Amino acid sequence: MTDLAVSIAGISMSNPVLVASGTFGYGAEYHPVFDVSRLGALVTKGLTLRPCAGNPGRRLCETPAGLLNAIGLQNPGVEVFIGDILPAMRSYGVPVIANIAGATDEEYVALAERLDGSGVAGLELNISCPNVQAGGMALGTDPCLAASVVAAVVQATSLPVIVKLTPNVTDIVGLARAVVDAGAAALSLINTLLGLAIDVETGRPALGNITGGLSGPAIRPVAVRAVWQVAQAVDVPIIGMGGICTGRDALEFILAGASAVAVGSAFFHDPLAAVKIIEDLERYCDRKGIADWRTLIGAAWKS
Amino acid sequence: MGQTGEYTARVIRQEALDADAFLLTLEAPELAAAAQPGQFAMIGCGSGYDPFLRRPLSIHRAQSTAGAVSFLYRVRGQGTEWLATRRQGEFVPLLGPLGRGFRFAGNSRRALLVGAGIGAAPLLFLAEALAGLNWTLNILLGARTAHSLFCRSALERYGRVHAITDDGSAGRRGSVNALLQEALKKGTYADIFACGPQPVLQAVQRASADRGIPAQLSLEENMACGLGACMGCTCRGSDPSRMLRVCAEGPVFDAEEVILDD
Ligand SMILES: Cc1cc2nc3c(=O)[nH]c(=O)nc-3n(C[C@H](O)[C@H](O)[C@H](O)COP(=O)(O)OP(=O)(O)OC[C@H]3O[C@@H](n4cnc5c(N)ncnc54)[C@H](O)[C@@H]3O)c2cc1C
Ligand SMILES: Cc1cc2nc3c(=O)[nH]c(=O)nc-3n(C[C@H](O)[C@H](O)[C@H](O)COP(=O)(O)O)c2cc1C
Ligand code: FES
Repeated sequence: MTDLAVSIAGISMSNPVLVASGTFGYGAEYHPVFDVSRLGALVTKGLTLRPCAGNPGRRLCETPAGLLNAIGLQNPGVEVFIGDILPAMRSYGVPVIANIAGATDEEYVALAERLDGSGVAGLELNISCPNVQAGGMALGTDPCLAASVVAAVVQATSLPVIVKLTPNVTDIVGLARAVVDAGAAALSLINTLLGLAIDVETGRPALGNITGGLSGPAIRPVAVRAVWQVAQAVDVPIIGMGGICTGRDALEFILAGASAVAVGSAFFHDPLAAVKIIEDLERYCDRKGIADWRTLIGAAWKS
Repeated sequence: MGQTGEYTARVIRQEALDADAFLLTLEAPELAAAAQPGQFAMIGCGSGYDPFLRRPLSIHRAQSTAGAVSFLYRVRGQGTEWLATRRQGEFVPLLGPLGRGFRFAGNSRRALLVGAGIGAAPLLFLAEALAGLNWTLNILLGARTAHSLFCRSALERYGRVHAITDDGSAGRRGSVNALLQEALKKGTYADIFACGPQPVLQAVQRASADRGIPAQLSLEENMACGLGACMGCTCRGSDPSRMLRVCAEGPVFDAEEVILDD
């Protein structure tokens, strides 16, 4: 069988299929349903310095081929994560990437320092959350602000720093270049697209937060385009995500230039989606007689 | 509680109970064996990505010897509409059993069961389990019309059923909340179990607090994962710093655990 191993920012994975932050909890939630040790890596829900209760009111709204969410980063905080959650998360034997979110550069730095040496394999900087007031997306839409927070975090930690970008910008390539120049070891693309739905019965926005982040197959072409553009402009590996539901979808991202993919909303449609994607990728490589699957990365524009 | 799993279940029966209410019975032996009253399943309702999310439905009955699980549901929109077109021999994907169901222990207690509309779906499974422990059950059922008191005759096997309807076609005209007040005046109960629309849950929550009778409420919220992973289905906990996941800490909560919004 084809070997799907890959290394992203120095993190070795048995295959390139990760989970998208916030859709998979901390792994234990899905472990009764399938063996999560089959995944390439686990990525946590966005962690903040202190516990965060998240947004009030309705948080989910289904939309055509996807959903809007406005969770608001509900999480128990980095201390509880390290003390109570990380040991179980590490017990699956796959690398754990901590997704972190702060309101200021100082908060990102404090999170990075706290997680250094905790046993996580890397950090994913969420500078692209559309559902929180402070920091979040504001930080991630201005290349100067984004570069400054990335540089500060890279300084503060020995862990590899992956930066997760928002598609809610005019020039994602400029943003990507800025954070790579600031020291990002890899990029995650894309976070959710800012959206809104109105309940016509009540005449009010469907979500408590009014706006939310759009995910699922509805956003896939936007994500593939972002990966295609950014992969040709930077020299760091890209973790592609946005509506990936099948092996075919994953291949689209890989051919566009992603060195790994993350499965997110697809879990809500089919809890076994990630396992099926890994099997699909193995079958594809076998069928095509591909000896090293990594030759597929960016093959759509390299050849 | 039983082990959760993803299954592809064959349709054994799809019965139309009225124009838009259905009783779906699926072959799902593992689910039937593992399910507890008050738990639910996330059912795939469509063949493509529209609808994209699974639909949460309460387990109406679990027959472990027959390996069958039933769902009682009303067609509300796109997903349940698709589900209602499934015919015998076709397959439906489902994830379950999910959530924390009703808690009960001990023998020969007296309980009040309160349900209204399609929200009464989980009561049958609960009543069967409680009757098996020799509990004495008073069951209050509300519906729009006599015709939509779907599980009345099935429930009568396990306890005394008192019905009330919006149009007076069965029992009196009115809401199940009126029956609740009367039942609490006349009898004493060790526990109350309730499911149904928000006003019914609110009335039970108030009655529980006023009279000091422990009550359990089955809540509904929009869901994506059903497993406690996405934080999408939360309700407010009585402890203001806590948002509770309806799919994981619930769907059945102790009345004093939650704040019910309108
Ligand atoms: C734990 C739980 C148990 C339930 N048990 C039953 C049952 O036994 N029988 C029954 O008829 N109904 C039950 N419901 C409600 C049922 O899930 C909805 O009626 C159904 O999801 C509607 O889907 P739709 O596509 O037909 O409607 P649409 O309105 O088109 O659905 C659009 C979106 O809203 C969600 N949604 C709509 N109404 C509800 C609701 N009341 N609760 C949660 N999400 C909703 C849908 O899941 C979907 O994501 C239960 C809900 C929960 C949370
Ligand atoms: C319910 C939900 C919660 C999410 N929470 C986070 C989060 O905490 N941090 C983050 O960086 N991204 C978060 N995301 C974004 C996803 O990680 C992913 O980037 C996005 O959903 C696109 O992928 P998908 O279409 O496959 O879901 C969340 C997405 C969803 C649907
Ligand atoms: S539906 Fe995902 S946490 Fe409840």
